[in-house]
Amino acid sequence: MTDDRARPPHRGLVRRFKVPTRLVHWSLSVFFILLLLTGLTNFVPELKTIHIGGARLFAWAHVALGFAMVAVAAVALLALNRSRSLRDDMDALTRNGPDDTRWLRHQLARLIRRGGSEPPVAKFNAGQKLNALLSAAATAGLLGTGVILGINYITKRVFSTVFVADVFPLHTWLALAFIPVLLGHLYLALINPSTREALRGMTSGSVRRDWARRHHPGWTPGED
Amino acid sequence: MHQNPPSPATPGGASRFGLPGLSRGRFLALLGAGALTGAGAVRVFGGGSSWRYNTVENPVPAFVPASYRLVIDGLVERPFTLTYDELRAIPAVRQVSDFHCVEGWGVDDVQWDGVRLQTIIERARPSRDAKFVTFHSMQGVYRDSLSLHQSGLPDVLIAYDMDGQPLEQDHGAPLRLVMPRMFGYKGAKWLTRIEFSDVQERGFWEERGWGVDAWITA
Ligand code: HEM
Repeated sequence: MTDDRARPPHRGLVRRFKVPTRLVHWSLSVFFILLLLTGLTNFVPELKTIHIGGARLFAWAHVALGFAMVAVAAVALLALNRSRSLRDDMDALTRNGPDDTRWLRHQLARLIRRGGSEPPVAKFNAGQKLNALLSAAATAGLLGTGVILGINYITKRVFSTVFVADVFPLHTWLALAFIPVLLGHLYLALINPSTREALRGMTSGSVRRDWARRHHPGWTPGED
Repeated sequence: MHQNPPSPATPGGASRFGLPGLSRGRFLALLGAGALTGAGAVRVFGGGSSWRYNTVENPVPAFVPASYRLVIDGLVERPFTLTYDELRAIPAVRQVSDFHCVEGWGVDDVQWDGVRLQTIIERARPSRDAKFVTFHSMQGVYRDSLSLHQSGLPDVLIAYDMDGQPLEQDHGAPLRLVMPRMFGYKGAKWLTRIEFSDVQERGFWEERGWGVDAWITA
């Protein structure tokens, strides 16, 4: 990621995400993926039982990564106060209206029959907003329940056994329920031809101008 | 003149954090209700009540009814041995209790059928030096122990049926120790030997960091 001011966006490209937004996206997602993978080792006996000096390797890695992610998420929240561009992105992502409902309905209808014109989309379409909302909710839930489990993993003195036994399945089911959302997100970002251009917005920071016009006609780059 | 600034340009009367027309407060209330419903569903549909298997006995010990023996020995006046049929002939008790694993998961309301450990203790007559009881698994890898006092608590069983069925192999067939007041690792599965002693043996997991007294808390 380069300094935004040092180089004007390449001709034919428009700036989509500045550094703070990209940093928040990638730092949270790297931790999320690592947590999901280390967490899922619990369901693979061969991996679950790998011990190092009597300690379960992946369980401890998961707990350490988990506390680290809590710190990263806290920094990301603080960054909202410091970065204008990050705040604007969050704002655009969490604001919705009748056009979003229409857009979702349009997409559902398209699954059955082709045609129809797409309702206007600004910087984010309703699918992106929905993904953001579900991701934020799942992350908050996983971090919240995870901290309880993590503390309990280190010492049994803080929480009652019965309470932990109620929290644990919430953590499990949140993680499992989120997997389809994550797979959908990855499919649209990496594989689906018409949407994967968006990935460049999150890596290099810019996307093709013509793609932006077609997919986000209501968004004026630079004014976001 | 002081005028209210126009509301920020949000196309189509957009609202924040919500469905159209939903205030943020209502949306958060919805989210909270959703979370509570989810938590309730987990409780009702038993997301918290599913068994997992852990074993350090690899492969999992096989139970052969004809050759199975439960040996009771150590510091007792009357050591004895039971076959599977003899074990089942002892007056049985049925108990419903919760199971908690030290990993955090638990299973509510498990029905156990078996023999009160106190019955075995009375029959063996521990000598005066006997202060502890060690429980050995079939292949000699897993073991764990309780104090004699803990072993005599009324809800401590050696169980052969779980939820009305003979124990499955993964769950410790033919016999496991049930100590509902402590974490599951205290309950040795594939139980074949109950040994009375004057010093407490450190169990498999206790040598690896878990506490010898594994009381659960309400
Ligand atoms: C944010 C993303 C996270 C994901 C996707 C995630 C995922 C998972 C998964 C799939 C499991 C296995 C559940 C099971 O065995 O039923 C798990 C277990 C666990 N998680 Fe997380 N988790 C996350 C965050 C955290 C955090 C922040 C902490 C603590 C600081 C944490 C602590 C734990 C603990 C202690 C366990 C139980 C480990 C064990 O005993 O094996 N998790 N997690």
